[in-house]
Amino acid sequence: MSSAVHAEPAMTLRRRRLHLGTATKQAAFGYAILLPTLAILFIFRFLPMIEAFVIAFSKYDLIHPARFVGFANFVDLIHDPLFRNSARISLIYVVCSVLPVWPLSLGLAVLFNQSLFLKNVLRSAVFMPVVMPAVVMAVVWTFMYQQDGVLNTALGWFGIDPVPWLRSSSTALPAVILIGIWRATPYYMVIFLAGLQAIPTEYYEAAEIDGASRWAMFRDITLPLLKPTSLLVMVMTVIVAMKVFAVPMIMTGGGPSDSTRVLPLFIYQTAFEFFDMGRAAAMSVFLFVAVMLFSVAQIRIFTRGED
Amino acid sequence: MPGIADTAARGRANATARETRPGPRRSKPTQSLAHRVWSHRRTVLAFVLVLGAVAISVVPYLWMVLSSLRTMTNMFSVPIQWIPNPVNWRSYVLAWHAQDFPRYFFNSGVVAVAITLGNLLLCSLAGYSLAKFRYFGRGLLFVLILSTMMLPLEVTMVPLFLIIKRFDWVNSYQGLIVPFLVDGFGVFLMRQFMLGIPKDLIDSARIDGASELRIFFQIVLPLCKPALVALGVFTFREAWDMYIWPLIIVSKDSLRTLPLGISLFMSSYGTAWDQLMAIAVLGTLPMILLFFFLQRAFIQGIAVTGLKE
Repeated sequence: MSSAVHAEPAMTLRRRRLHLGTATKQAAFGYAILLPTLAILFIFRFLPMIEAFVIAFSKYDLIHPARFVGFANFVDLIHDPLFRNSARISLIYVVCSVLPVWPLSLGLAVLFNQSLFLKNVLRSAVFMPVVMPAVVMAVVWTFMYQQDGVLNTALGWFGIDPVPWLRSSSTALPAVILIGIWRATPYYMVIFLAGLQAIPTEYYEAAEIDGASRWAMFRDITLPLLKPTSLLVMVMTVIVAMKVFAVPMIMTGGGPSDSTRVLPLFIYQTAFEFFDMGRAAAMSVFLFVAVMLFSVAQIRIFTRGED
Repeated sequence: MPGIADTAARGRANATARETRPGPRRSKPTQSLAHRVWSHRRTVLAFVLVLGAVAISVVPYLWMVLSSLRTMTNMFSVPIQWIPNPVNWRSYVLAWHAQDFPRYFFNSGVVAVAITLGNLLLCSLAGYSLAKFRYFGRGLLFVLILSTMMLPLEVTMVPLFLIIKRFDWVNSYQGLIVPFLVDGFGVFLMRQFMLGIPKDLIDSARIDGASELRIFFQIVLPLCKPALVALGVFTFREAWDMYIWPLIIVSKDSLRTLPLGISLFMSSYGTAWDQLMAIAVLGTLPMILLFFFLQRAFIQGIAVTGLKE
């Protein structure tokens, strides 16, 4: 009799213990399958970031042992006209390559968000710049930018004199920026298009009944509802523009007379052509802070208006 | 053309709402061409704008292909020789053998495939763990993984090179592949997708006695196919495109990837434009094929980078 009374709690306890056992086992499995990812990200992402800060405070040329120099690298950078020029070039590149991409990609997305004859084929065609590998793009555009190349020939049809493009320090940066815009616009068009398609059509139908103009609908429905997508595009375009490397590296190598030496290119050259790891790491820290500030600041500005 | 009819209907409702009325005849079948164009003017304008964008996007491709087939004597001829005559197929043969391009293609293929497979496996394992398991520190780990998206290679390349050097992985496939086997964004993507998989499905498989690994491979992964295809195509494209990292850690010719080979070819054969364009065409071909056959996934892979938490 008494054993029967005790049987139930004992069983519950055993069941609970069994349950606890499977929960722990499952947690262990959860950890186990996350482990390779954590290991790789730690060794190849976080460790380098930590090390970047360490190297930034040392003098290191890959041959002699690293030696702590305090803030010397940073102080040198601030007084280095080459670095200041490079930071300025990067800033110009970011501003000028990013600002046109926003309206262009959004505009294209709006065009493609309506019914259009041969829409899918045309959308694929517009998307083609994204498909082209960056290095190929640099080669093909270098060819088109030649003095007697196709772009100058085309300009000639409109009576415009040949532009020296990559040969002149005043046109090389715009030429590089132009390619950045060419490549980025269809990319962000796709993202905007996904954002547009997520907006319920009911809003537009209701607005139409109220007699709203197309512009009013765009301003009062599309833009506000596209806010999250727009923020993302803004942050992404800025960060991508800050990282630009392959195109200026291949097309100009930073020239003529440093006019296209963007920051990543300067970091690369400082580290792997002049073997000044400390200074390169200090510049990396600078770039890192710039990337961080941008994403954080833009997210702040954006969420301020909400609620 | 139901598409155009839709827009026309919308445009019409709009036109009625404002006071611009092209006339009551526009819905009748007997209207003139000019009239039809006028009543569809928004669609026509949109179409023209889109055609302009298409031209800007496609002309460099066309020019690349046409120039690869043109002889050097006709390369810069005025007026432009649009259709290559004679057709210069030899540029492809010459370019292909000018450097060890077969090897570069092979290397790029190995690296891109390995990185893609690694990401498919590791990102989905990590995403599964973060979406469907409960354990101490999960939220923090997720945030840490996400934060790696803010550490671009251009920022970490100097110390990363030093780490790879310490591993003695300079000039090796490991050095090209292992640091990129998993990616914070890929984990995020897979996690978001796996949150949508019903827990009951997994629990009932557990009750049936399936092992955790078996559940992952036979139940969870098949359900993630759309996300996997998008992630796979996206990763492959990025890996095929990789330039700065191979440039840093590869100096042996036998390990050069295609982007390195092309840029080297450009600096040494800078004026052999027919051959340069030929190798440019060949280097783009894998991406074109990928885009042609997996177009949806290709575009989806980019659309999802616009995902927000």
